[in-house]
Amino acid sequence: MDDKRRRFEVQVLPHLDAAYNFARWLAPAPADADDVLQEAVLRAFRAFDSLRVSDVKAWLFAIVRNCHFTALKQRQRRAQVPLPEEHDADDGAALVAQVPGPEEESIRSSEAHNLNELMQLLPAEYREVLVLREIEDLSYREIAEVAGVPIGTVMSRLARARRALKGQWMEQMQGTPRAVP
Amino acid sequence: MLCPEQLRVQAYFDGEVDAIGAAEIERHLERCGECHELHLQLQRTRQALRGELEYFRVPQPLAARIGNALDEAADADAPAAARAGPVRPARASQAGWWTRSFWTGAFSGVGLSAVAAAATLFVWMPMLGTNPLVDDLVGAHLRSLMPDHLIDVVSSDRHTVKPWYAGHTDVSPAVADFDTQGYKLVGGRADYLDHQRSAVMVYQHGPHTINVFTWAADRHSLPAQVTRHGYHLLAWKIGDLQYCAVSDTGWDELHALAALIQGVA
Repeated sequence: MDDKRRRFEVQVLPHLDAAYNFARWLAPAPADADDVLQEAVLRAFRAFDSLRVSDVKAWLFAIVRNCHFTALKQRQRRAQVPLPEEHDADDGAALVAQVPGPEEESIRSSEAHNLNELMQLLPAEYREVLVLREIEDLSYREIAEVAGVPIGTVMSRLARARRALKGQWMEQMQGTPRAVP
Repeated sequence: MLCPEQLRVQAYFDGEVDAIGAAEIERHLERCGECHELHLQLQRTRQALRGELEYFRVPQPLAARIGNALDEAADADAPAAARAGPVRPARASQAGWWTRSFWTGAFSGVGLSAVAAAATLFVWMPMLGTNPLVDDLVGAHLRSLMPDHLIDVVSSDRHTVKPWYAGHTDVSPAVADFDTQGYKLVGGRADYLDHQRSAVMVYQHGPHTINVFTWAADRHSLPAQVTRHGYHLLAWKIGDLQYCAVSDTGWDELHALAALIQGVA
């Protein structure tokens, strides 16, 4: 095995599961996530020679994210779907996404019975920060790198995502005597 | 009305404030009921997400697919001269004499077949592209190298590892540590392979991890030696048990470990 390939396996492939999990939460259709991960790993490999980043995981996540949105645009070329707009951090009204994409829309019509389904009711950019922060334990700075936004935006988006998750929980569990997360 | 400190409370919860800031926020949390409630809420949300949210791991077919794609990308990277030259036969002859003398010296019985396998290896290689078991083995090896996947039972003591297999796998291979020979048994694992729960012995050899898979040999046949995605696979049988060692270490090292394992089986 040549040197580049070996270094790639040692430094990058240990993050493959995490990258896949991230892709699955970005693109709920497994086949889409599969393609996204493969494309991302190949892009990462091609860029690996010039790689001088210390944070391989965040770097790989950023590539996964780019691949996801590129693929999403291709799939949705005919249907223009704007992302939910950013609001000020203090804007408490922006608890849930007003503009769900078609992926969210199709799921929204059904009920959520657990936290996994509840997550799918949130817009992708909320799922994204929640997975990166709560599951992968990335710092604000790392999330900012992955998502390509300022740290302040990470903070406000994370706050809205957490409130949105709680809001969805309250809405879905109404009438069900179960504790709020 | 939202308390203006909410984002700082969140940053505190996320470990993003320094010690002085943390002390300030802790004081604030004692005074502000709203932020106190928010902090509890953040804790509950995290606990729920970490406890209940599904974590998707790379399925083995996808891992194999990506390995193939990487192989192609790596080949495309290689200089044209290297691709044109007869690289593999050169490697075979390097390993050849050592392997031959080792096998004929220590285990003359199996030596002949091993030499024959080594000689035909490079003739077979182009035809072996579609053995799914080989892909599964490499996939399982790759998965094992990811954090927290390598070992289910941590032990260099064969008396601990072997009984563990009884409850977790369908086979019970002989287990031995060869630390003095350079192959340290670091633990065991169960992997689903060829429709069975196979027992995996994990050896550390220098910087290399060697997974030795064992399962009941009744279904698919494996080539004696094959290289896939840059990993070497060395397969052999002992009685009804199929063995396959997978690693990025050299052939010689794999053959030596195989001989050691055959010596104790």
